[in-house]
Amino acid sequence: MSIKKTMLSSIGQKLLLATSGLIMFLLFLIPHMGGNVLFLFGPDIFNSYAYHLHQLVPVVIGIELLMLTSITIHMIMAFRVVLANRKAADKRHTLKSSKERSLAAKLMPVSGIMIFIFIVKHLLDFKFYEKTEIISEHGDHMYNVYAMVLERFQGDPVHLAFYVLFMVAVGFHLSHALQSSLQTYGIYVPRDGSKIKLVSAIVGWGMAATFAIIPIFAFII
Amino acid sequence: MAKQINLTLKVWRQNRGQEGKFETYEAKNIDTDASFLEMLDVVNDELTLKGIEPIAFEHDCREGICGCCGSTVNGKTHGSHERTTLCQLHMRHFEDGQNVVIEPFRATAFPVIKDLIVDRSGLDQIIAEGGYVSVKTGNAPEASTTPIKKEMAEAAMDAAECIGCGACVAACPNGSAMLFTSAKVSQYALLPQGHPERAQRVKNMVGKMDELGFGNCSNEYECAVACPKGIDVKNIARLNREFIKASLTSEK
Repeated sequence: MSIKKTMLSSIGQKLLLATSGLIMFLLFLIPHMGGNVLFLFGPDIFNSYAYHLHQLVPVVIGIELLMLTSITIHMIMAFRVVLANRKAADKRHTLKSSKERSLAAKLMPVSGIMIFIFIVKHLLDFKFYEKTEIISEHGDHMYNVYAMVLERFQGDPVHLAFYVLFMVAVGFHLSHALQSSLQTYGIYVPRDGSKIKLVSAIVGWGMAATFAIIPIFAFII
Repeated sequence: MAKQINLTLKVWRQNRGQEGKFETYEAKNIDTDASFLEMLDVVNDELTLKGIEPIAFEHDCREGICGCCGSTVNGKTHGSHERTTLCQLHMRHFEDGQNVVIEPFRATAFPVIKDLIVDRSGLDQIIAEGGYVSVKTGNAPEASTTPIKKEMAEAAMDAAECIGCGACVAACPNGSAMLFTSAKVSQYALLPQGHPERAQRVKNMVGKMDELGFGNCSNEYECAVACPKGIDVKNIARLNREFIKASLTSEK
């Protein structure tokens, strides 16, 4: 079997889907969450974090390119898998799902599309947005990203609601994705009362909640 | 004492190559000790007397081991009683006056042949891709020449319990045959006798499964709930491992 044929087989596609997803989770979501949480500790720490992050331009660009590749692979494979699955199932079937089938699993394509919409919006909100420059006490020219976050959320409950809603999509997506990717790699995730499923849900929803706290905090302070 | 109940059946009627539809029939005076298939036999007797073509359904052993029978009953494969085939489902599980919807095991890879009978030969084609082992020719070897750990033998037997009824495919929201294929791959991968063809087998079986239009596994585990033989999703994890290993190591 050629590499191409292996990668485009049903299991191969799922491995690509799982791997690209895990790369985004490990190399982007976790550090991004860690960085964003610094917002809660005030302007000095948050602006300094953003400043130091941008000192590492080659790393940032490297990660950005890796994320772009991962999200492209992730979306292509997701579309291929979902379309093939739609074709393989007979829509007339009056099948009722059991309690085994989680809402998170059912919502994977929807939450995935929502996350994509969110990423576009989020990039427009913060990455491709004019930033004001300030000079720190050490004399460094840095962007006042703290003020930018405040400005985007204060007095705008609709914008806040958008962010929180889309973090719910992240919670759903991750809670299924983390455990499901392990099963795809061949690490047995049992059916009933699986600890792996529980940990996956806790990590997924915990991460979504942590991200959601930031705009909520920016809105209320 | 067995009771008798009356049911209203909504049964899928279809001839090959034609559109199908649900027809409503009354099932009268059904003994609650009867099996589901015996109930259909009673209904078919009445339909025949009325000059209506009897409902076609597949059956053979009627003791839950052959894998012939199977329909989706009220939205559940084999009527969804844990580890029970349709032939072993008894009418005592139904209420008097209940509506019962009966339709074939639907999936794109399972085209309807007639009424409740679907073409599951796709599963046979997957088997043909590697459901065999190479054996030594000549005299039969001494039985204990190849030691096999008890746990391995039991795990292989658990996988080999699969009767190929196709409930996993029908219950899967993606029409995937991963549980079936994983059971077949596992049963050989767990035993030393299956090792000469191990890598080629998993690749060929997965390749055939994809080619026949079965869906992809999204790890929703509906298959394992539906399986009348209790085949576990542990086998799907093993299939994934076998596939990864075979893809990384074998040349062909």
